[in-house]
Amino acid sequence: MSNELLEPQKWVERYADMMYRYSLVRVRDSEAAEELVQSAFFAALKSQNSFAGKSTEKTWLFGILKHKIMDFFRSSKNTISIDPTSDKKSGLIKFDSSGHMIQKPGDWKLDPEKTTENNELAQVLAQCLKGLPEKYHRIFVLKEIDGISSEEICNEFDIKPTNLWVILHRARNQLKQCLESKWFQTK
Amino acid sequence: MFSGMMKILKMSCEDVYPLISESQDHTLPFSSRMRLKIHITICGLCQIYKKQLAVICRVAKVIGKEDAKILAESNMKPEAKEKIQQWIEKKR
Repeated sequence: MSNELLEPQKWVERYADMMYRYSLVRVRDSEAAEELVQSAFFAALKSQNSFAGKSTEKTWLFGILKHKIMDFFRSSKNTISIDPTSDKKSGLIKFDSSGHMIQKPGDWKLDPEKTTENNELAQVLAQCLKGLPEKYHRIFVLKEIDGISSEEICNEFDIKPTNLWVILHRARNQLKQCLESKWFQTK
Repeated sequence: MFSGMMKILKMSCEDVYPLISESQDHTLPFSSRMRLKIHITICGLCQIYKKQLAVICRVAKVIGKEDAKILAESNMKPEAKEKIQQWIEKKR
């Protein structure tokens, strides 16, 4: 059953930590992340013959892991409630009666084009992501981190596009507030 | 015409915030796009907010990369790795 193009005996050494971190960002729970990596390796080992060498070993393994993560989301989606119709105007940003912000947003003095090089900022955002409610986190991960289309996410969670936009708006606001308190105010 | 212009100019930041976020997810209808554009042109606070969301969007993509070093300190437990390694050695 072995495939000469693959080196399963080196998978753990080469990819386990990388795949674990990739999973951890998405599922937030260390045990679940470990199980996902394990099940991805097991599935890969069983389907070695399907690897034709068209991609790298790493890309192939991550492809399997991504499927496992989606399966995890599907299997647990009924345990999180998505009710974006409630609390429609909620948010951490407060407005006065005329619709103006009570607390003005801080000027982060960052060029969005250059923020991808800011590792420290990325670490704080990763921390902030952990604080999002489960439903916001999952949808934000799929949309912003994995680039899944709105249509696909709506189908997965059985929600309308308008509800999706509300959830994403709230998630972004929470992240923005978290970044302001954990990073920008200390700069 | 005049009432239409007034409607645009009367948009508050509270009305505009969701539109700024939504504009990252889908193409807004023409009228909303115009209202948003005009409001942002004259509102410094909404310009900042728009930039902040762009920062979050860009940094989120960095975090999610396969070889992201963001959580470099988070490694899989050695015993979990050992267990998988043993299983692979046995099954391959």
